[in-house]
Amino acid sequence: MTAPPSQAAPAVRPRLAVESGGLSLQNPILTASGTFGYAREFESLTELGTLGGVITKGISPKPRFGNATPRICETAAGMLNSIGLENVGVEGFRTEKLPYLKTLGTRVVVNFFGVTFDEYVSCGEALASMDGVDALEMNVSCPNIKAGGIEFGTDPRVLGELVRVCRSVVRKPLWIKLTPNTSDIVALARACADNGADGLSIMNTITGMAIDARTRRPKIATVFGGLSGPAIKPIALRMVHQVFRAGVPLPISGIGGIQDATDVVEFLLAGASTVQVGTQNFADPDTACRIVRDLADLLASDGVTDVRELVGALRSS
Amino acid sequence: MRYFEARVAKNESLSGGYFRLSLAGCHPLRESRPGQFVMLRGDWERDPLLPRAFSLLSVGSDGEAAILAKTVGRGTALLERAAAGARISVLGPLGTAFPAPSSQFIDLLVGGGVGIPPIYMQAAVAAGAGLAPRSEILYGGRRTSDLVLLDEMKAFGVGLHLATEDGTTGRHGRITAELEARLAVHAGKAPVRIMACGPNAMLWAVGRIARERDIPCFISVEEQMACGIGVCLGCAVPARSRPFRYVCKDGPVFDAADILDVAGDDPTQKPASTPPAGCLT
Repeated sequence: MTAPPSQAAPAVRPRLAVESGGLSLQNPILTASGTFGYAREFESLTELGTLGGVITKGISPKPRFGNATPRICETAAGMLNSIGLENVGVEGFRTEKLPYLKTLGTRVVVNFFGVTFDEYVSCGEALASMDGVDALEMNVSCPNIKAGGIEFGTDPRVLGELVRVCRSVVRKPLWIKLTPNTSDIVALARACADNGADGLSIMNTITGMAIDARTRRPKIATVFGGLSGPAIKPIALRMVHQVFRAGVPLPISGIGGIQDATDVVEFLLAGASTVQVGTQNFADPDTACRIVRDLADLLASDGVTDVRELVGALRSS
Repeated sequence: MRYFEARVAKNESLSGGYFRLSLAGCHPLRESRPGQFVMLRGDWERDPLLPRAFSLLSVGSDGEAAILAKTVGRGTALLERAAAGARISVLGPLGTAFPAPSSQFIDLLVGGGVGIPPIYMQAAVAAGAGLAPRSEILYGGRRTSDLVLLDEMKAFGVGLHLATEDGTTGRHGRITAELEARLAVHAGKAPVRIMACGPNAMLWAVGRIARERDIPCFISVEEQMACGIGVCLGCAVPARSRPFRYVCKDGPVFDAADILDVAGDDPTQKPASTPPAGCLT
């Protein structure tokens, strides 16, 4: 009796390269802002050069020291944080962080924010002018001091205006990281598209709270914080798909609880063209690079030859 | 610092709900120093999500490393049940260490409850360097069952002074009273250093005692952390030298005078809920 001929697929590696949000990337896997520092922290722990890109900690015009403590706590399949956007500031980024990022051989996307329109503009303009910065990601989940602390990113009119003024000075791809703390994510996405953004990152953390029943105190000093991790993945998938299905003409970078290559495929099917690995970088610092390795195998085993085939390829139920 | 996979070699139940988890395959930790820590996570899928930080108790030349823990939540409960052969991911060694033992000083090593591991390791290093006579362990707990590994610490040949709050072993009361007694014994002789690890209230009291006598004091501090490598910025502690210092990178061992929780006025206060002066928010 002879063995049947091998059914193994030909050893063609699926294409992982994508063009998204004004960038060409060697694969669709990025690391989310605030969960990967300035990349150097992971130098000895993972293969940084294999990533599609890294997104830095959010940068503000001046350094910030962040919030009071405690700042984090674990929750069911996730964590709450209220770090307070601590960062080295534009000048610290340029002199201390960017030289290393330029050596990585992967895309460098710099997250940035301000607490006034003027701060957003000056910060975005300064960062976009730096050699080695490939794109900017605007964090709009910050309190707008002039508007009584309401987030910039929750009002489509305010958000649209913020995108417009930043767009006018940022000559590099400009992505907007949307907040999920809204009743109408599509309206926010449209406001970005209508005012010249190049891409959307969906989504930032969801506002949450944790209480220590024994001490009767909130578990983090600011009482409320941002929930992240696998617990929020279904919400992130829903928001990505809502924006995709509504036909908002911008590519989406999906974020929320991604732990493995299967999670990535789910986000691509929902309509994302790239993804960002976030909180899981804390649980396993090699996650993002492992996903790059696993994704090719997963696609090959499913007969997918080009990762772009999956974007928005969700079948009807 | 390395990220690698180890296997549970042994998991021993000790008194007082403590357990000692020994991991095989920890060769990257062989150069670890007392006070340094590791982040451990088992095959926990999606929950609990984050690795847990533990000060090292011991690292053998055969690459077997041990931690000492007590179940306080979901992660420690899973580690307590981890059987021989179970896979554990390890990130380490991380953070700063206590100063090396020195023939120039008498080192008073103060451990409270679950804070004993770096004290144990420091005493082991002192013994290995032939400096056991220059070190004393001061170890306190609520009751006798909270004091573990006593025979092993005696075998180091260092002085061992105990205290329990219920008076069932050693001095009746807090270990800080024993610290004051030992300082009185050493007063006017060789210069003394204090190294301490334990609950915040104990660290504050130790820091006050050191400050009053102008004695160098190094404390190992605990704080919630997600990453262990200076990325999440969750483990901030208010400090004198900067608005915040980070337990994972700047610590866990700090000069006690720099940490406001310890050098400040009120032992019971958690850090203030408003940002410190100098914060640009």
